[in-house]
Amino acid sequence: MPPPSLPFALVERGAKGLRLAAVNAAAREFGLMRGQRLADARAAVPDLLSEAHEPEQDIASLLGLCRWMERYSPWVAPDVPDGILMEVTGIPHLFGGEAAMMAGMKARLAGYGFTARISCAATIGAAWALARYGREGEDSLQDLPVEALRINADAARTLRRLGLKTIGALTSLPRASLARRFRGESIHENVLLRLDELLGQRAEPLNAVNPETSVMAHRGFLEPVITHEGLVTVLRTLSAEVARALEAKGEGALRLILKLFRSDGGRVQVPIGLTVPSHDGGHLFRLLSPRLETLDAGFGIDAMTLEVREAGSAVARQYGFMEENTASNLAQLNDRVMNRQERAITQLAAVESHLPERSEEAQALGTPLPPAGGGGLPERPLMIFVPPQPARVIAAVPDGPPMSLTWRRVTRRILRHAGPERIAPEWWRGDTGTRPRDYYMIEDEQGRRYWIFREGLYGEDSGPPPKWFVHGLSA
Amino acid sequence: MPAVARVLPEREEAQALIARLREHLARQGDAGVQPSPGRRASRRESVPWTLGLPDLDRFLPGEGLAGTGLHDISPAAYGDFPAACGFALALAVRRLTDPREKRPVLWCRLETEQREYGHVFGHGVAAIGLPRARFLTLSLKRPLALLWTLEEALKSGCLSVVLGDVAAHTADLTATRRLALAGQAGGSAGLIVLTRYIMDSTASSSRWCIAASRSPPAASDLRAPGLPAWQVALTRIRGGRPGSWTLNWQKDHAPSRFTLVPGLSGGALHSGAAEEAGPRAAPKPALRAG
Repeated sequence: MPPPSLPFALVERGAKGLRLAAVNAAAREFGLMRGQRLADARAAVPDLLSEAHEPEQDIASLLGLCRWMERYSPWVAPDVPDGILMEVTGIPHLFGGEAAMMAGMKARLAGYGFTARISCAATIGAAWALARYGREGEDSLQDLPVEALRINADAARTLRRLGLKTIGALTSLPRASLARRFRGESIHENVLLRLDELLGQRAEPLNAVNPETSVMAHRGFLEPVITHEGLVTVLRTLSAEVARALEAKGEGALRLILKLFRSDGGRVQVPIGLTVPSHDGGHLFRLLSPRLETLDAGFGIDAMTLEVREAGSAVARQYGFMEENTASNLAQLNDRVMNRQERAITQLAAVESHLPERSEEAQALGTPLPPAGGGGLPERPLMIFVPPQPARVIAAVPDGPPMSLTWRRVTRRILRHAGPERIAPEWWRGDTGTRPRDYYMIEDEQGRRYWIFREGLYGEDSGPPPKWFVHGLSA
Repeated sequence: MPAVARVLPEREEAQALIARLREHLARQGDAGVQPSPGRRASRRESVPWTLGLPDLDRFLPGEGLAGTGLHDISPAAYGDFPAACGFALALAVRRLTDPREKRPVLWCRLETEQREYGHVFGHGVAAIGLPRARFLTLSLKRPLALLWTLEEALKSGCLSVVLGDVAAHTADLTATRRLALAGQAGGSAGLIVLTRYIMDSTASSSRWCIAASRSPPAASDLRAPGLPAWQVALTRIRGGRPGSWTLNWQKDHAPSRFTLVPGLSGGALHSGAAEEAGPRAAPKPALRAG
């Protein structure tokens, strides 16, 4: 980033070469503006510095600023590419009134290097128009140009050609005649709808960064808390509070987020997930509390918020007189393991397939297992290698049973074998090769058992010679 | 004070009432008011955790292996790890013969061991006699994460047996003591399969050392490997006597149980044979462990 005193521009690739996407104040003094071609700008200002424009980074930075703005209101939405919308109903008095709040915002943002224009109005449209086209200290919409309606350039040009240059000129016409004249879709969409939104005759929702939370608990502290014990105590009350609120609604949390506001303005977020909706305060606390151990608390935590981001219905279950709640304990254990180790407990379900590596799959806990197929299979090993490991085998005759196995540089004499069991590839899948496998369960002199197979047959016309693999070990 | 004075008798009354209700329910069940099969099973007598072979069970404490303790199983040599896992699963199957034990079994795998010896294969686990519906598994990257998970699983109280591949260098006295305490807290048994035999003491209530053994020929095919066979050495047992045997696992038998390998059972291979011959000799103090 060059110093602000030097002319600097971000450039983007347009249809006819590079164009300026944004310029700094120094460049603007030289008469440069966005949309200009880079070649023209360089001709006017030879020492113009430039860099490629990265819109994704703009958006990421805008979202970061949105999160920072949550210090004023929880209801913040980004207005891509360069604006932030904020619902402040019931808030200004906390910051000493509207004017003081806006001045404070401006000063803080200026401290971070942002030049901001801020305005406050009853509708999103009006606030947008005043912030971009209004003059300092005025809040009249009548004199604003028609571009302030958030309409596209075509519509604005049409209006100007008709002599309707300000919003006041537009509103002075009867609405019925406006509607009749601007029946064309693009104009109608643009002008009348936007005018209604501006004047508050049509509701416009604000899509906040934070989804609407049904249940949340918040604690602010008189002094920043730095000790682990302090945070754990607060966390326990927060989880109990959230659990009570959830239980009253007959719901259980599936996703929660714990926000810790640091006294230096930073924020730490701890997200956790659950596999089964739960309103057990102790369980939520046990999931969250280990995460506090590795937390960077900076100079202390000012406030903590626990929000439920996703909930599912969970009817409070009463366990029988003599029955134990094994299933729910297991789900809670799974939650703890998942949030700490990022691994889930699985059950192994049999799949109808002859290929050993495909004949089984891991399933999430709690899903019913398919009925075990058939049975009567020849012996299967206790452990299986994915993928099979290459080995060398000597057999008395090419197609005969194996006599010795060399695997991981050790040669073993084979005393017993069961097989072969021929397993043909599943040709309808197309990705399993075309060579049949002959499986043997073998035992060496020490009694260790290996499950090996030969891929391919001797005497085939095409393809490389058959290869041997160790596919599993047995007890 | 009147409030307290009123509460205390109430609690006692309530407990007496609960006890009376339990008694009443038990009598109802006995009178045969069509109790559900599950209920009937749950009231059956608890069966001790034994090997299912009287000659061997003499070496265990009277009440069998500790169902809420920690037991460790080590392979005798590098290639015997699968045999040790098979023996651990067989012990878990023996635990489930207790009709009051309805909780599932969890096996926590370590990724390094999965690369070395392969992933657990449900068909093979089912072949040893552990039904799929009661078998759960989990794989973890780091040995310390595995210890943490084992402890949580044992403490949770929702598993009957928790198996785990424990890296030998992490299984010190502190770690195993923690696991043993967690097992007592949750009423679960921990069976840890160490990656290699360690000489250091552990807090386990029994220690086993397993080697693969040549199996007797299968009944149907003389050239084929028969029933799984292991050389089992019980090196340490609290309240019992150590010993060593060569055992078969009768997986087709119901309930599955261990048997002595026929050809070797009369030989000198297992130290129990000498004692079997004479009238029960008093165990030598040197052999006593506990």
